[in-house]
This record gives sequence, structure tokens and C-alpha cells, in this order.
Amino acid sequence: MQERFFNYELISDTDRSFIENKYHRQDMPFDAKQRMKYHGYDYDESTGLSDGEIMLGLDELAKKLDVEHHYTIKSELFSYILDNTRIDINEHDYFIGIYTWDRVIDKHTIDPWQKEAYAKATLAVGNSKRNDFAKSGTAWALLDFDHTVPDWESLSTLGFVGILERLENSYTAIKSSGAITEKQELFYKCAKREYEALIKFTKRLYAYSLTKSHAKAAIVSESLKHLCEGAPQTTYDMLQLIYIYFMVSESVEHYQVRSLGYGLDGTLYPFYKSDIENRRFSKEEISRFIAYFMMQFSAMGNYWGQPFYLGGTNPDGSTAVNELSYLILDIYDKLGIYNPKIQIKVCKSTPKDFVFKALKMIIGGSTSIVFCNEDIIVKALMRNGATYDDATLAVVKGCYEYALRAKSIGISFNTFNALKPLCFVFSGGYDNVTGKLLGIHTGDVSEFDNFEKFYHAYLAQFDYVINENMKWIYEAEKYINDVNPSLLYAATIPACTEQLRDANDGGIINVSDMLLNGLGTAVDALMAVYELVFEKGVTTLQELKNALDNNWEGFEKLRLRALGCKHKYGRGDKLSDYYACAIHNFFASHFIGKKNSHGDNIEYELHSALAFLKQGKNTPATPDGRYNGDEVSKNASPTIGMDTNGLTALIRSVTSMDLSVSDSGACLDCMIHPSTVQGEEGTDILYGVLNTYLSLGGASIHFNVFNSEMLKDAQANPDRYKNLQVRVCGWNVLWNNLSKQEQDAYILRAEKIIE
Amino acid sequence: MKKAVINDIKRFAVHDGDGIRTTVFFKGCPLKCLWCHNPEGITVKPEIAYYEHKCIDCGECAYVCPTRAHIVKCGKHDFDREACIACGRCTESCLGGALTFYGKETTVEELLPQLLEDRDFYESSGGGVTLSGGECLVQADFCAELLKELKRLGIHTAVDTCGFISKSALDKVIPYTDVFLYDVKAYDEDVHIRCTGQSNKIILENLLYLDSLGKNIEIRIPYVPEYNSDQIEKIALLLSELKHITKIRVLPYHNYAGSKYEALNIPNTLPNRLPTDAEIKSAVETIKSITN
Repeated sequence: MQERFFNYELISDTDRSFIENKYHRQDMPFDAKQRMKYHGYDYDESTGLSDGEIMLGLDELAKKLDVEHHYTIKSELFSYILDNTRIDINEHDYFIGIYTWDRVIDKHTIDPWQKEAYAKATLAVGNSKRNDFAKSGTAWALLDFDHTVPDWESLSTLGFVGILERLENSYTAIKSSGAITEKQELFYKCAKREYEALIKFTKRLYAYSLTKSHAKAAIVSESLKHLCEGAPQTTYDMLQLIYIYFMVSESVEHYQVRSLGYGLDGTLYPFYKSDIENRRFSKEEISRFIAYFMMQFSAMGNYWGQPFYLGGTNPDGSTAVNELSYLILDIYDKLGIYNPKIQIKVCKSTPKDFVFKALKMIIGGSTSIVFCNEDIIVKALMRNGATYDDATLAVVKGCYEYALRAKSIGISFNTFNALKPLCFVFSGGYDNVTGKLLGIHTGDVSEFDNFEKFYHAYLAQFDYVINENMKWIYEAEKYINDVNPSLLYAATIPACTEQLRDANDGGIINVSDMLLNGLGTAVDALMAVYELVFEKGVTTLQELKNALDNNWEGFEKLRLRALGCKHKYGRGDKLSDYYACAIHNFFASHFIGKKNSHGDNIEYELHSALAFLKQGKNTPATPDGRYNGDEVSKNASPTIGMDTNGLTALIRSVTSMDLSVSDSGACLDCMIHPSTVQGEEGTDILYGVLNTYLSLGGASIHFNVFNSEMLKDAQANPDRYKNLQVRVCGWNVLWNNLSKQEQDAYILRAEKIIE
Repeated sequence: MKKAVINDIKRFAVHDGDGIRTTVFFKGCPLKCLWCHNPEGITVKPEIAYYEHKCIDCGECAYVCPTRAHIVKCGKHDFDREACIACGRCTESCLGGALTFYGKETTVEELLPQLLEDRDFYESSGGGVTLSGGECLVQADFCAELLKELKRLGIHTAVDTCGFISKSALDKVIPYTDVFLYDVKAYDEDVHIRCTGQSNKIILENLLYLDSLGKNIEIRIPYVPEYNSDQIEKIALLLSELKHITKIRVLPYHNYAGSKYEALNIPNTLPNRLPTDAEIKSAVETIKSITN
């Protein structure tokens, strides 16, 4: 066991306060969705241009480049920003400052290029329903720039300089073979331009650091010098590199970096060992660097949370948990932050004391830790062709998504609402929001004389929505590389460098991600039709249709009967669980073995992100008793309050599905009352729950431990709960940032927790 | 085939013995503790609890009631308990969740599949099945049959008992019980009689008997200020003589059960004063200092 508390200061109050105000001022209003528009403070003007001047410069440059290939335009604009942005090396921080971080190239790149690509896709499909699907909350289809994980192995062993050299070597080899294509030439030239700009930027930072005489300057200078010359040499160098790459990729090049390291513990560990052995840095110093590093992500205000993962298992069966895994958790615990968020790759052989440490943090109120089942990750990825070794070493990124290291990139991110097709059965395919025919006519619902007909109609509607939306996605994905070349990222990937081919241009596997939202509520709705109309005969489909059309007004008794149905998902009820499996497999069957327009995998994720609220808002009343506009169930979780048989029954329901079928991830969210897990025995209980969930084939699981009384108090006294965060769906938000309505919904959920 | 009368089955029970458990609450208890928080477990006969504040006056109960115990007058529900035969039909039709049936008859065959649902959780957490109540050993024959089956299937078993049962009843379950969760409410007989309506002579004898057999015993002491709070030291002294106590728990009295008394139309005997944290801490310290 590692020490839980530190006998030295990880970060001074002054420095912490500085970093908390580095990206935006804490005393000013803040909109997390616009987070990159803010600056915490003004940088030294002599170090570069203001944002306004940069934007004017970009306008001018973009005009000149107008006819050039998108690779050229993007790489030139990228370089312009890195050459001209203001920088800082601050006395309160070990990490550099980059002033222009609002993805200002978008105006000249993604924004127009995406519009153009979407128009082309819509035209190619002809009468595409994509926009109406999106407006109506039926399905969303989007190209994906939000889920990359660079090859941290290459970055940690080569550094920016080594990446550039590897690119040059590859170019020389291909060129000398005489078989180089124009596209390869272009890729090389533009990726090279970006890395040259990045190295120049690092040199500029280094030079600026030499002008500083504060206590941290020397150490920062040394680190930047290493990065200017080659590979990182120390833990601190590596942290600095991760931070620079993150900021430049996410905030300049517009590719979100969705994990920090191949396990932050795994990537840092060789450096850590070397630092300690060679006495470059002490454990105390390294702890401080990690604390300052964490604080960056805490302060940035990224509302969906910046993830990194810990733990895992090596292909030889040994655990990847190391001394740093414990230390990182300790630092995180000590800092008392909720962003970044942590995924823990876990299996039955993960050291118990490590899992216990994480569980104790959760019981203590940390809501930013999620466990991801390695066994399911391996099964899911191997089905798609991954070898055992690759699947074992897979990355957890974003909320709970799995991906192969340096071998795949997401190209589209699409979300389907499982409830809307059921509504179309009642409406004859007409949508309540747009008034348009977005489904198909599956017959007059009032004439269905058995449940089978209703169920078949539902599947037919769902099938139609999936296929219609897929047509558009198929076309749009063809343009991903035109819309947003991934040069900075691709150069870190050995396969892309070897082929001189961009990652989302087929350099590696190009994955389409299909998310299923509202599964639990869809099952409840189907079961309510089964139970009320066909099993008990207490209503007719016509009466139910009238009730839904009137948002249950005038049908309160029927609504209570619907809410009181015995068959609900999340109770371990066999019938409901079979239908959950059926919908889960039905959805997956549209993608298993199918290829996207890049000839690669289409993956399925049982995950809702914010769709459970947003798509729910556009979903009319449903037979389970839900009102028009209410949220739907999220992830693999049941409808709020319907899991009335306790946590074990809930886990039975969830694991009745083969969760390796959702090959991109699936998560169960559990709220647990503090009394359930109090004391040492409470940790044992939670450990038992976790282990059973894993052995029954659960995928990811996220525990929240709190009660409704605390939340009500927080609502009444926001000042006393400035730091309280709650998990929305895959990420945390500050309680005080939720609207009253959202807070009420959360309290309602907490009130339904069974002790 | 033996039948039992039960009130509830609770899955994911984490306070009824070690690990994750499923607890069966049997109906009927020979004691009448003033602080009882499961008053639905006192009588063996079936009962209907009516939570008036949840009633929406929908009239569904009146529609199914065979004895007109439920009627709706001028849009307002009225429940005539005298006329109620506790058949339970109303509880199934109740839309507001205002009516609850206590006293379901069940068999071992019916119970077993439900108790095995969480077997995986028992195994991973060191949990199992707990028989509780009421006083489960009022239905000792049934308990013995159920416990025997559970043991045959390798399930860890716990019996939560007040101890006020015959030695012969205890003997029936001893071979199939891994741990007894044993309530000790008072050492002095007069205090026990005042608080529970019965002497504790049999209870203490049974406790010594179980200990003499080497059975694992987890002691549970409800701490009720002004009722049994002066008994802690004496109880601890008694326990210090025993050899097979696995744990001693002090259970702070709470009065959450008030609405149940009202719903069951039973006179509410719950004491008013709740224990303070300091009192509980002091009781725990006293017990530790004497038994360690």
C-alpha cells in the first residue's frame, strides 16, 4: 500500500490558484461549452500576436492558399498559429502557456469543408433524412474529430524531433523506391510542416524560458531543451510533452486527445524508474509535477472531462499496475479534483489493494472514476480482428470507448434513439417534432391483435431509421480526410508514417461508431404494451395511442398502470431482459461484419453521452408512462427509478446482454446510498459488486455514492457546495452548473436509490 | 410441503451478516419491543398496510375488494379494517402504491430460486442468505428445511434471532446455520420485560448454549437511550465470557418506522429520543474495553 496522504506540499495555494485561473478567471461567468474562448490572463505581448491579429493573419493566409489542397491549407494555418501565438513560462507553473487556443483555424478549414462535405453526402443519398432525424431526436450523424489517442509509445521514445526524423526517413525510403504518389508527397510535406512548426514552437518556448529567472525557470528550460533536441528524458519531460501535444492537437489542430498516455501510469513508469534510479528527480518532485499536470485539466473547464486510464494487464498476464498507479491515485485524491477523469482497466487479477484504493476514493465522494472490464474489451476487439496482444493492450479513451493502440481512428460518431421508432409505430411513421414522415407505415396500430405484430412493427421502424441514417453516414465518411486531415496525429502512428498516408485516409483502421441511446426505456415501453394491452388487457392500443397523443392528460390511471408494470428493465425480470438482449443484438446486427465506406469496421457503443437528455426532449410520451420531453434511459442503465429490486438485480439485467457485442463500449451507472458502503465492510461490499459484475460479463461500471438529502441541501445552499460534482453521462459537471430542472432530475434519481 | 408466512425478500442486503446477502423476513415475533422497526413482523397473520398519504383515491381497491373493506365516498377512499380479510387483492391493483400486503405464504421450492438469484454475488463477497423477521424461528421447521437446502447448495447461511425461542426450535436450525445474528437487548430481566414484554432468561440461556456448541455468533445490541442504555456494561461483561462471538454491533435506535405503525394501525410505541453519536461511540468503547 502507498501512503494516502503526503507529508509534503504537492502544490502551493498560490500556484494552485494561478493554474485555476490560467485558462479562465474563476471570478467571472464561464460557459464550459465555449471554454476555449477565454483567457485567464494576458500574456507578454512581446512573445507574439493577439488573438485578433492572429485571426487577421489567418484570413490573409487562407486567401492566398485558397486553391491549395486541404493538407496544405491546414498545415500552413497550423504553423502560422504556432509561429505567432503568445507564450508563457510562468513562475507559478511547471507547464507552458499557449495563448491562442480557440481552434481559430476552423473558420478556414473544418467549418467550410464540413459544410461542403455534408452537402455532398446529402446530395449523394438523395432525399436524405439525416437533418430531420437530427432535429427530431431520432438519430444523429456526425463526422468525428473527438476521439484520437496518438501513439504515446512513439512520442515517448522519439519526441517531436524523432517523429519528424522517422517521417523523413520513411519519405526517403519510399522516394528512393521510385513508387511515391502525389498524395504521399503531399502528406509528407504537410505533416513535416506541422512537426517543424511544433519543434520551432518548442524552441521558442525554450528561448523564452531562458529569459526567466524565477524558481521554476531552470527546470522548465531543461525540460524544453530536451524536447527541442529529441526524446523526453525524464518523467517531467514526458508530462510536458503530453501537455504540449494535447494543447496543440486539441486547441490548434482540432483533434481531441482522448487519453493521456498508454495508461498514464504505463507511459510515465519507465521515466519514473529511471529518474529515481539516477536520482534525476525524487518521488516528491515527481509527485509535484504530476499534481501540476493534473491541475491543468482540472482548470481548463473541459465539460465532458479529460480522461486518462490506469492499470490493465500485460499480454503475458502480469498486471500493468505499478507504483505510479497508486501514486497517481493518491495525488488525485489529495488534490480533490474531478477533472481529469480516470478509467481503471480492471480484471479479476488486478491487485486488490489498488482496486480498494479506487473504491475508497469513490466511497469518499469521488465521482470521476470508472472501471472498465478488460476481459470484455479483449473479447470485443478480437471479434473485429485484433490479436490477443493488441486487444490486451487496448486503450480506453473518451468516456469508456475501447481502441487499439496506434491502429484505429474514429471517423464518425452517431447516436440512435431506441424510443423514436416505437413512437413511429403509433404515429404511422410521422414525427412529432418535424411533422414529417421519418419512419415507415407499419399498419394501423389499433388493428394489431397480438404483441408480435407490434414488436415486428417496432423492429421494422428501427431497421428503417438505422438504414436510412447509415446511407448518409456512408457517404459523409468518404470526406472525413478532406474535412479534417489528421496530420499531427498521423505522424505519431508508425503505420501512417511507413505508408505516408493520413490516418483517416486509410492509414490505419477507420472506425465508424454507432451509439445506442434509450435502450432501457425502449424495453420498458415495449413491455408496457405487452403487459397492459395483451397480457392483462387493461387497455387497447387505440386507447394507449390516445393517451400518448395527449401526453397522458386525461389518462392518469393508465399512466400509473404503465409505471406500475412488473416487467421493467433493470429488475432482473427475465422477460424484459430477453427483450433488452433482443434490441441490443438487433441494433448490433446492422453493423457486425459490415464495412463502412473506408472498408473498415462499424462499431457499436451502448452509450448515450448527452443524448438521453437531448433526444429525450424531442421524444413524445411513451407507453412506459414517460411524459413527452422527459429524459430516456442512458447507457446500459435502466429508466430512472425502475430498478426496484436492488443493485444485484440491476446487474443481472445488464449482464443478461452479451456486452462484448457493443464492441466500442458499454457502461452501467449506479447510484449507491452512503449507508450501503460505510466502513471497511462497505469497501468489501463494493469490491464484491465489482468483481461479480466483471465475472458476469459486465463492461464498464461507474459508481456514484451519495444521497438525495445532500443534493437537496446543495440546491438550497449552492455556496456551500462549490466543489460538488455529479456524473451526468460519462463525465462530471459541477452541481452548481446544472439548471434547476437538471438538478431536480438528479435529485429524483438519487431519491430512487434503494438502500 | 411446509409453508411459511413471510413479509419480504430483500436482495443486496448488506447489513444482515457478512457480504452481499439476500434476507428473508419471516412474519411473527414472540417479543413486542417498544422500539420495533419492523412492526409488520409482529403478528403471524396477514395484514394490509395503508399509507394514506400515497393514496390517490382512484378506487381500484374498492373495485377488487370482495368484502367492501375499501370504499370510495364522495371521491375519498375509506378503509374499513374490521371488514378486511387481508386477501391482498387490493395491493395488486393499487395505482398509488398506498397498499402493501404483509403475510405471503410460500414454500421452500418457491423461495429457493429467488434466493439463488444472487449466488454469484454471495461467492464474490463472502455473503449468503439471512433468515430474519419478525422472529424467523417461530417458523423453525420451515427454516430448518430451507437452511438445509441452502447448505446442500453450498450457500452461507445466517439466522437473525431474538433468541426467545425454545431450545428444540433452535436445535432444528443449528446444523444448517453458519452464523447466528443474535440480539441482546438487556441483561437485567426487569429491563428486558419492560422493553420487550418478555423475560430474557431463555434468551441468555440459548446464547450460552450456542456458544457452548461452538457456533459463530454475531451479537447485535440495539441502543435505545433511556430504555436499555444502562445495560451496555453488563451485556459486555456477559459477552466477555463467551468464546465464539465473531462480532459485536451496536445498532443505534432510529424512528424511521413511525409511518409503518400508522399504516398498520398499530399503536406507535417508538421512543422519542434518538441516540447521539457520542452515546454510540461511548457504548462501543465500553464494549471494546470489556470484551477485548
